[in-house]
Amino acid sequence: MKSVDEVLEALASRRYMAERSLGVAIHLALQLGKPLFLEGEAGVGKTEVAKVLASILDTPLIRLQCYEGLDVGHAVYEWDYARQMLAIRLIEAKGEGAHADVGDIMSREYLVARPLLQAVEASALGQRPVLLIDELDRADEEFEAYLLEMLSDFQVTIPEIGTIAASEPPVVILTSNRTREIHDALKRRCIYHWIDYPDFEREVEIVLRKVPAISEALAADLARAMEKLRSIDLFKPPGVAETLDWAAALSVLGTERLTTESATNTLGVILKYQEDIERLRAGGVEQLVASAR
Amino acid sequence: MAEPFTHNLVHFTRYLRAQGLRVVPETTAALIDAADVVGLENRPDTYYAFRALAITRPDDIPVFDAAFDLFFGAGGRVASIDPRDVELFPRAPQARVAVPTVSRTTRDGDGSSDVSEQIGASAIERLGMRDFSELTRSEYAEVQRLIARMVWRPSDALSRRWAPSSKGNRPDLRRTLRELTGPARDLMPLEMSAPKSRRRPLLVFADVSGSMERYTEMLLYFVHAARGRLGKVEAFVFSTNLSRITREIRHRDARIALSQVGHAVHDWSSGTLIGDAFADFNRRWSRRVTRGGPVALIISDGWDRGDPELLRREFATFSRSVYRVVWLNPLAGRSGFEPQTRGMQAVLPFVDDFMPAGNLADLTAVVRLLESVPKRRETVHR
Repeated sequence: MKSVDEVLEALASRRYMAERSLGVAIHLALQLGKPLFLEGEAGVGKTEVAKVLASILDTPLIRLQCYEGLDVGHAVYEWDYARQMLAIRLIEAKGEGAHADVGDIMSREYLVARPLLQAVEASALGQRPVLLIDELDRADEEFEAYLLEMLSDFQVTIPEIGTIAASEPPVVILTSNRTREIHDALKRRCIYHWIDYPDFEREVEIVLRKVPAISEALAADLARAMEKLRSIDLFKPPGVAETLDWAAALSVLGTERLTTESATNTLGVILKYQEDIERLRAGGVEQLVASAR
Repeated sequence: MAEPFTHNLVHFTRYLRAQGLRVVPETTAALIDAADVVGLENRPDTYYAFRALAITRPDDIPVFDAAFDLFFGAGGRVASIDPRDVELFPRAPQARVAVPTVSRTTRDGDGSSDVSEQIGASAIERLGMRDFSELTRSEYAEVQRLIARMVWRPSDALSRRWAPSSKGNRPDLRRTLRELTGPARDLMPLEMSAPKSRRRPLLVFADVSGSMERYTEMLLYFVHAARGRLGKVEAFVFSTNLSRITREIRHRDARIALSQVGHAVHDWSSGTLIGDAFADFNRRWSRRVTRGGPVALIISDGWDRGDPELLRREFATFSRSVYRVVWLNPLAGRSGFEPQTRGMQAVLPFVDDFMPAGNLADLTAVVRLLESVPKRRETVHR
């Protein structure tokens, strides 16, 4: 892909309708070999970017889901203890005792590669995979610090084995739901992009592309209703993912246009907080449907 | 890239930094690379490319937009700017200090700790029980200095990370196996690990409405000291609105920090809508700043003009997202005080510790309380 337009085209061919600004960010990340940092509310399609990109580039997608307490053993590598134990027992059973080379059980063969090592190893073989580091905001600062080092030289050092380095850095995509601020030092190494909710036209387009079974009129109803829902003070405003779920749900129910009844029945698809649902049940649904049609 | 353009980019990044964006010298090089990749013919693409490299948070976008228009012309042509003009742009205006000036005669020197400790002791005796609203100007300054020097030893929380420990109860297989590669032994010792500790975050809400006027400043000094000593502090102020002051309060110098807060907050000394403030917090901030089980410190007299039912509901939600709720009321230390205001009545069921905060001794008690917060909750206490 040689230009922003080509990037956007390739995304669209995979049914990902991106804003031009996102196209520029992806193009830059690929051309400059920098990680792409995607931030935005839940359900605006951050993770999807990585999946689509892996499909476009025809490379494996390696995904690391972050959580608090994520450590080297789960992010980079772990020894296969069960196999190591068995190997020791075998050495004992053979009676080789002190003559056996115990160092062998610390070789690559007994190592389980976790996502970061997998990505480095794949890159070392020239595959240039897409590495998705998902929901980085859930990890703690210790992991962030490790990542900072990792993203600058793309190599992993295992004391017992040595250093494995990527010849060409993998395509790295980091996402954050912004449940906390990620340190600036990390963001500065990346191309930063804030994914906003799509505007009305784009959301209609997304719905029609992803849920082709529904009518244009219903897609427009939903996009307008979502616009409205995002403007009122909800605990958790619905994202694009919810719009798509809603469209799929209404399509299953055979709905032609959004009505108070069909909206009330499917509120649980788009709102995930009891307080928000209560609030809409208490008279908000008619208003919502009226403004959406 | 043409020479004047590169030159212009250097000034552009410097200007961005002066406007408060967190750009580094390498940003210039990155912008030059980006201009090579996307070209300069298509203005939106240049704009998106530069933006993706220069900002690190959505709030930066308006600042960046203004700077981009200034340097690269709103008309679509890449303008050239005389570098000498750049210096003329004002930096973010320094707030006028709305805080009474404090003469800083003593500094926390290394060798003088003994002497100043003694002065501290007698001063605490003299000033400890005096209400903040009754202090003279010089006593006020002295109390501020004492607050800045308070010793904070808050208890830790449990982390989800594990560290080697002989007293631990989880086998550390990685270390166990690694030990095997060392000299041969008869027994294979099982190495153990235990959960690590981490600093428990603090979440502070200070009421800056009219009824709190005589206490606000001193209590903000207290918040500033907490931030300086503990690091992991998120701070908010509220009256009719809620404002986050975490960034403003970060400055080392308390006077500058407070004047920055003064600038960021627009509704000082107006009425109080505590329920609305917490409703706003629950929606906009809660998910971003309540990680890691924070202790919440709310500093307010509980005078509320809003709907008590709204306050009760929002505060109940709030109390479920933090580890412990400590409410500091500057009036609570007065004899005969009863938390009778409607606002106080609404929130009391969700408050774990209700404490006075009218004088230095009160604040010391708060710091001691933070030392006693357990690592994990032993029993459900509510």
